Amino acid sequence: MPKSRIELRFGGTGGQGLLLSAKMLADALAAEGKHVAQSQTYEPTSRGGFCNADLVIAGGEVDYPLPIAFDHLVLLDKMAIKPSWPRLKPGALVIADTRLCPELPAGDVRLHHLPLSRTALELGSERVTNIVALGVLVEMTGICKRKSIEQVVRADAPRGFLDLNMDALAAGYALATPVPAAAS
Amino acid sequence: MFTDAPNFDIRNYLRMEMMPHFLCPGCGHGMALRALLWALHELDIDKDKLAVVSGIGCAGRLSAYIDANTFHTTHGRPLAYATGLALARPDLHVVVISGDGDCLAIGGNHLIHACRRNLKLTCLMLNNEIYGMTGGQVSPTTSETRLTTTTPLGNTEPNFDACALATAAGAGFVGREVTRHVPKLKELIKAGLQHPGFAFVEVLSDCTEVYGRKNDMGSSAEMVMRQKSEMRPSVYRDSVDTPFRSTDLPTGILTRNDRPEYGASLRRAAALASKGAH
Amino acid sequence: MNVVDTRRAKPAAKLLSGNAACAAGAIAAGCKFFAGYPITPSSEIAERLATLLPRNNGVFVQMEDEIAAMAAVIGASMGGVKALTATSGPGFSLKQENIGYAAGAEIPCVIVNVMRGGPSTGMPTRPSQADIMQSRYGSHGDYPIIVLAPASAREIYDETIRAFDLAEICRSPVVLLYDQVIAQSSETVALGAAPAAHAERKRASGPRETYKPFAVGADGIPAMARPGDGYRTHTTGLTHGEDGFPTQNPEAVDRNLSRLFTKLDHHRELIDSWETVRCDDADVVIVAIGISARAAKRAVELCRAEGKRVGLFRPITLWPFPEAALREAVKTARAVLVPELNLGQLRHEVERLLGRDRVEGINLINGEPIGPAQIAARASQLASEA
Repeated sequence: MPKSRIELRFGGTGGQGLLLSAKMLADALAAEGKHVAQSQTYEPTSRGGFCNADLVIAGGEVDYPLPIAFDHLVLLDKMAIKPSWPRLKPGALVIADTRLCPELPAGDVRLHHLPLSRTALELGSERVTNIVALGVLVEMTGICKRKSIEQVVRADAPRGFLDLNMDALAAGYALATPVPAAAS
Repeated sequence: MFTDAPNFDIRNYLRMEMMPHFLCPGCGHGMALRALLWALHELDIDKDKLAVVSGIGCAGRLSAYIDANTFHTTHGRPLAYATGLALARPDLHVVVISGDGDCLAIGGNHLIHACRRNLKLTCLMLNNEIYGMTGGQVSPTTSETRLTTTTPLGNTEPNFDACALATAAGAGFVGREVTRHVPKLKELIKAGLQHPGFAFVEVLSDCTEVYGRKNDMGSSAEMVMRQKSEMRPSVYRDSVDTPFRSTDLPTGILTRNDRPEYGASLRRAAALASKGAH
Repeated sequence: MNVVDTRRAKPAAKLLSGNAACAAGAIAAGCKFFAGYPITPSSEIAERLATLLPRNNGVFVQMEDEIAAMAAVIGASMGGVKALTATSGPGFSLKQENIGYAAGAEIPCVIVNVMRGGPSTGMPTRPSQADIMQSRYGSHGDYPIIVLAPASAREIYDETIRAFDLAEICRSPVVLLYDQVIAQSSETVALGAAPAAHAERKRASGPRETYKPFAVGADGIPAMARPGDGYRTHTTGLTHGEDGFPTQNPEAVDRNLSRLFTKLDHHRELIDSWETVRCDDADVVIVAIGISARAAKRAVELCRAEGKRVGLFRPITLWPFPEAALREAVKTARAVLVPELNLGQLRHEVERLLGRDRVEGINLINGEPIGPAQIAARASQLASEA
C-alpha cells in the first residue's frame, strides 16, 4: 500500500462528537492540500450505540474511500474496541481514554492510555473530550500542523464555546507530550 | 344552443377536430364538460393560461377535447401532477378532471393530501358510481346492492361520501351538483374556480351503458330524471318526485373556508428565507 | 465527455457528502423544483434542498408518497421548470409507473436513486448495487432512459449538472444511480462557481397552426410547448401521433415509438461517458461502478505493483451502456472481472456484449462493500493464468 495513504478512526458512542472531530481534522488536512474521505457506519440507533468516524487521507485523490486497516485509532468508549481492534495495522497508534476504556486487549500497537475525558471535565465539560483527543492525535502524529487544526476549530466551534475548545485542544497537545522520566 | 347562455358558444372551448367524441350516448360526462366550459367562459379565463390535468378512465379522456394546455396523466395521479404544475407555475389556472375510481380508489391518498395542503386547484370528480372504461366494475361510490361485473351478487361494500371526505381532509371549498342541472352545476364550478384554495366539486353523473342497463335504471333520460327523484338531492325535497331515498345527498356549496392557500404560504416563507439569506 | 465546461477558478476544498454534492449540483444546474418523500439513504438530498431551493427562487415540496413525488416532478417539468426527485430502492419501484410516463410523453426530469440492500425494505443503511436492471427496465413497455453512475462526491456534483442537461436536450428522464457508501461518505471537494450556461429544452416556435408537438428533425427530439405560450397542446401517456393526440393507427404508433426508442442514438456523443485506468496493455480488465469501482481502482494499483497487467473500465453513463468504449478497453484482455454488490446484473450486460467465455463476477449481497484486496487477489490470479 502506498505510504501516502493514512487511515484512522475516532471510535466511541453516539453523541460524543466523533464526527465533528473527524470533520475538523479533514478540513485542516484539506487546507494543507491533502485529499480526505470520511465515512461512518450507519446503524438504526443514532444515540447510545457504537459510533465511528473514519478518515482515509492521501496526497492525491483517494481511490478507495473506506478504511481497510487503521494507522491510528482513537477510542472513547469500550463499545468501540471490539469492532475496531481487529482492523489495526501492526504497530498502529492507539489513543484510548482511561476512564471510558479501562481495559484494552493486548496487541502489536503503540498504546497511549490517557485521561482524555478527565482532562475535559477539569476544563469544565466532558463534551470537549473529542477535542482533547483531537489535540493528542495531531500532536502525536504530526498529521497536520497545529496552526491548521486551530484555524478550523476556531471557525467551527459553537458560539460561546471557542475558549473551551481552544483550551481542550491545547490540553490535548500537553497530554501528548511525553512526561519526563524523572517525574514518573 | 341554450337560450340562457346567449354568448356562450361551446365550440370556442372545444377542439372541434377531435369530434366526434368517444363518450357513449347518454353519458352524463358531456353535460359536466359543458358546465365546466361554460363556467370558464363566464369567468373569462384565458385558454392559454388554462391547464387541465386528468387521470385515467372515462372522465380522464375529457381533457383531450378542451382547447387548452391539457395533460392526460396516469391513473389516480392527476392531483399529484397538478400539484407540481401549479406550484411551478402559479400564473396558470389549473383544473383537474378525475373520476370516482381515479380520485377515490387508486388516487385516494392524493385527494386527501391535496385537500389538506389546500393548494389553489379546482378538482372536478365526475361520479358515475362505476369503472366505465374497463367495462363496469364496482367503484368506491357504487351504491350498495348494485350489480356490476365484479359484484354479480350485488355490491356489499359501503360507499364513500366524497364531499364529507374532502371536507374532513381540509379542503377549502367543497360542493356537489347533479348533471341534470347544468346551469346550477356551472354556478358551482364557477364558485370553485374563484375559490383561492383547493376546490373539490363532485359532479353526480350517469353511466347508462354499463351501469344503468345492468341495474334496470332505464334510459338515459330516465336516469337523469332519477337524479331528481330517487338518487339524490335533498334540495329537491319539496318537489313532486317522491319518495326520496334515505341516502339523499346534499348538493350546492357544502364547505367554504379561508384556510391559508398552500402556494402562497410557501412563497411567503421563501421570501422570508431569501431575505434572511442576504 | 461533458456537456458543461467544469473548468473553474481553484476554490477551497470542503468536506462534502455525495448527497450534499447532489443537492449542490442541482442548484448549480438550475433546478427549481424538488418533490420527494423521505427514504434512507437519500433523505439528505431532500433536507438540503428544503433549505436551498426557497433561497434560489425554487420550490420544495414533500409529497404524500413516492408516486406523488414523481408525478409532481413531471407536473413541474410540464410547466417548463427543471425538476428533481430523490429516492432509494423501494421508492424507486413505486416511481416506475410515472417514470414510464415521463419516458413516453418525453418530459425531462431527473431521478436520484441511492441504492441500498434489497429486495423489499432490505438494508436501508447498507450499500447495494442491485438496481442496475431496475434503473433500465423498471417500468412497463419498451422505452429509452439515461442512467448515470457517478462514483465520488465530486463526480456526483458534475453528473447531477450533466443529468439536467441531458434531460433537457434529450427530453428524457435521467436517473442518477449511486450506492449508499458514495452517498453518505464525505470527501474533500473543491466546488467552483456554477456553470454559466445550461442546456435548455428545445421550445416550440412558429405559428400554432403548423406546430406539431411530436414532429422531429434529424436529432429525433421534438420541440416542447410550454403552457402559457399559446400552443395549447395535449400530452398523454397513451400512444400518440405527431399531433400529440391518442392514436392506435399502427403506422402512426410504429413511427412515433420507433422514433422514441432510437432518439438517444443521435446524442450518444453527449450521453456516453466512462473512465479507463491502465487498460492499454491489460491482460485482465475489471468492469465496475460506484464503490466497487473505487475498490477496483485500488486493486489495479495493487496488481500493477506486483507486475500484473490489470486495468479498470468504469462506465459513468450506465445506460445506454457505452458498448463501443468497453470493446475498445478489453481489446488486449483475456479475462474480464465484474465485481458488484448484486448477483450479476452488470455482468449480465458485459456478457451480452463480450460473450460469456472470458467474463466472471465477484458478487456480494451481505451489505458490505467488496474490498480492494478481494478484487486484487482474483484479478492477479486471472492475470497469472492469462
